[in-house]
Amino acid sequence: MELDNVTRPAGQAQPLSDEDKRFLGELVETNRTEHHGRVSYMDIMFELEHHYGNSLPGEVLGEVARLVGAPASQLNGFVTFYTMLSTEPRGQHVIRVCTSGPCHVTGAPSIVSELKRLLGVELGETTSDGMFTLEASSCLGICGVSPALMIDDDAYGNLTSGDLPRILAAKRVGGAQ
Amino acid sequence: MKLFSTQIVVPVDSNSVLQGALEVKHVLEEMIGTYNLGSQVSVVETGALGIYDQGVVLAVFPDDVYYGGVKPVDVQEIVTEHLLKGRVVSRLVIDRNLSNRRLVEKETGKSQQKIVLRNAGLIDPQSIDEYIARDGYGALAKALAMQPGEVIQILTDSKLQGRGGAGFPTGLKWGMVAKEQSDEKYIVCNADEGEPGTFKDRLILEGDPHSIVEAMTIAGYATGAHVGIAYVRGEYFMSIARLKKAIKDATEYGLLGKDVLGTGFQFDIEVYRGGGAYVCGEEFALLESIENRRGEPRNKPPFPPQQGLFGKPTVVNNVETFANVPPILLNGSDWFKSFGTPSSAGTKVFSLSGDIVNRGIVEAPLGVTLRELIYDFGGGVKGGKHIGFIQTGGSAGTVLTDKFLDVPLDFASMKTNNVSIGSGVILVASEDVPLLPFLAEVAHFFWHESCGKCTPCREGTLQVKTIMDTLVNRTADPASLQRLGKLLNTLNDTSFCGLGQAAPLAFESALRNFPEAFDRALAESHVPEACQEEG
Ligand SMILES: Cc1cc2nc3c(=O)[nH]c(=O)nc-3n(C[C@H](O)[C@H](O)[C@H](O)COP(=O)(O)O)c2cc1C
Ligand code: SF4
Ligand code: FES
Ligand code: FES
Repeated sequence: MELDNVTRPAGQAQPLSDEDKRFLGELVETNRTEHHGRVSYMDIMFELEHHYGNSLPGEVLGEVARLVGAPASQLNGFVTFYTMLSTEPRGQHVIRVCTSGPCHVTGAPSIVSELKRLLGVELGETTSDGMFTLEASSCLGICGVSPALMIDDDAYGNLTSGDLPRILAAKRVGGAQ
Repeated sequence: MKLFSTQIVVPVDSNSVLQGALEVKHVLEEMIGTYNLGSQVSVVETGALGIYDQGVVLAVFPDDVYYGGVKPVDVQEIVTEHLLKGRVVSRLVIDRNLSNRRLVEKETGKSQQKIVLRNAGLIDPQSIDEYIARDGYGALAKALAMQPGEVIQILTDSKLQGRGGAGFPTGLKWGMVAKEQSDEKYIVCNADEGEPGTFKDRLILEGDPHSIVEAMTIAGYATGAHVGIAYVRGEYFMSIARLKKAIKDATEYGLLGKDVLGTGFQFDIEVYRGGGAYVCGEEFALLESIENRRGEPRNKPPFPPQQGLFGKPTVVNNVETFANVPPILLNGSDWFKSFGTPSSAGTKVFSLSGDIVNRGIVEAPLGVTLRELIYDFGGGVKGGKHIGFIQTGGSAGTVLTDKFLDVPLDFASMKTNNVSIGSGVILVASEDVPLLPFLAEVAHFFWHESCGKCTPCREGTLQVKTIMDTLVNRTADPASLQRLGKLLNTLNDTSFCGLGQAAPLAFESALRNFPEAFDRALAESHVPEACQEEG
């Protein structure tokens, strides 16, 4: 299928390369130093998501578990709890559209339906070209410019349905902004 | 000379960046270079001014001129007209009072003093020198010269209460940790800010990160802790970056580290990030999360002051609570109590959102009314419309009619008037916004954010959501309001943590204040046949 080259099929084990292992080893050590001998799983997971295309492959989690000396099940329990983390493959860009109270009052429902229409997906799904995953989110803390959404690390506010094609197009051609 | 030492202040916070503040600043710096004004005009980055609906804002000092909605193409005109010729570009000028009024609490005549937001928008938050120039770290120096017990006594006398939602007396909390015997203790700053409609902690962290570093260090000294941890919600990239920079600079200046201000007291601060879970704002869930576990609350008692992070005595305080500490130590507890009401001392930072003309952050003395917040500071409802409903306190807060506009807001107003203050959310919906779909969204929020640890909340929030959906779709059965009432009582009585316990508040208050909306939905409902047969 055409999406195979952009998203990684769930659960398909790929042996880690030496480079992967070196990367993971350094990541954990750097974090350990920053936190005075402890590690923060969250920091590590955010780095991993950046590195591995917005999701956390099982074999990578396995190696990290080994490095931090925890059972893999504990890491798995951790990552499945937090909405910003995903073990499922996601698109190149993750759209998190806020649906909470303040955004709701100022038009989030129409932003959500327009996004679904433009992307041709439901909430929680990824576009067939692997470009965007659309997720509903609780308050993003930018209610002063509601309705709001985030794409990856970039926030967009004071949205109207008319803004969305431009925002998506800019993301599509690449990079931040 | 007119041009000498002109300062242009550019608020760079996540909202203004969204509106293009960085581009404007970039062009401004280029133009200043082009016109050779570098030695006379300085461009200063600052935190948010609390003005949200005016686009990119530039403030020119000492002229005291505020420009709003500035686009990169406008910059040349500001430089050539205002800076070179001294002519104000009137088409871009915004009402300066807007910004002052919204930050300074003089409306009620109680005070003209900013406390929490004393520096936000006035200093470059990335400059430790500017913070120090405004008495920064003076409170720490003062505290270190006192006995820890004296520091706690001042806080206790000040009657400072937690600003994270529960209003617990801060001095009492610190005193509990101080009296525990333990080799390790922790100071944790709760910056997970997940309550929908709250964005004040972000503004404080972006605009004045050193105030949090200073306050956490004071807490460490007062309680005998040597490690501080700030848990900041994952999306707050700018808050995280500025806090980390503040920690680094403070360490270099000897204000953190092995030997704070040469007194031999040791204190370090680390930053941890949240992962997008509302429940992690609950103090025990937050501690679990720092310990690399799922963010599920723990049984109370013991409370965090007895057994908190890694089982050790721990202070957990909200960002805004901490931000109050240095001014209290500098100015004394009587000064602090001169603001607010008999039951609630000091100010509160409110987040105004929804259909309101000036959305943003307002600091006002406790006891301020909704009318003052919405009309005087907020400029009223967008489009001159009437208020449909107001939600105060957050999603876990009360839903009100405009009959409540004159209730003074403080920590007692829930008891006296059934108006919750919570984290300071003021969400205004105009008469055009239907209530029930909004409540269905609130129900969806709690269902989604329930951590699933205990049954009443895991199942109860789903049931509330289902009933709300049937009311919205007009498929509610006649007994649904009775069931909803029972459900809300059960949630409140039997949930394990504050999330499930407080979730009913929005619905209970809406049922009380807007009974006709529910009755109409019930009257218009047609139960689908499949359901009717079951009874
Ligand atoms: C579900 C839930 C979410 C909470 N979210 C926050 C939050 O985002 N920020 C916060 O400071 N307190 C939050 N709290 C309150 C904390 O548990 C705790 O009372 C507070 O951090 C104590 O600090 P304070 O005394 O300075 O207010 C939350 C509580 C509950 C039950
Ligand atoms: S009340 Fe809700 S959030 Fe709290 S422990 Fe129970 S399930 Fe978790
Ligand atoms: S409610 Fe949408 S960002 Fe806060
Ligand atoms: S006791 Fe917690 S779910 Fe049963």
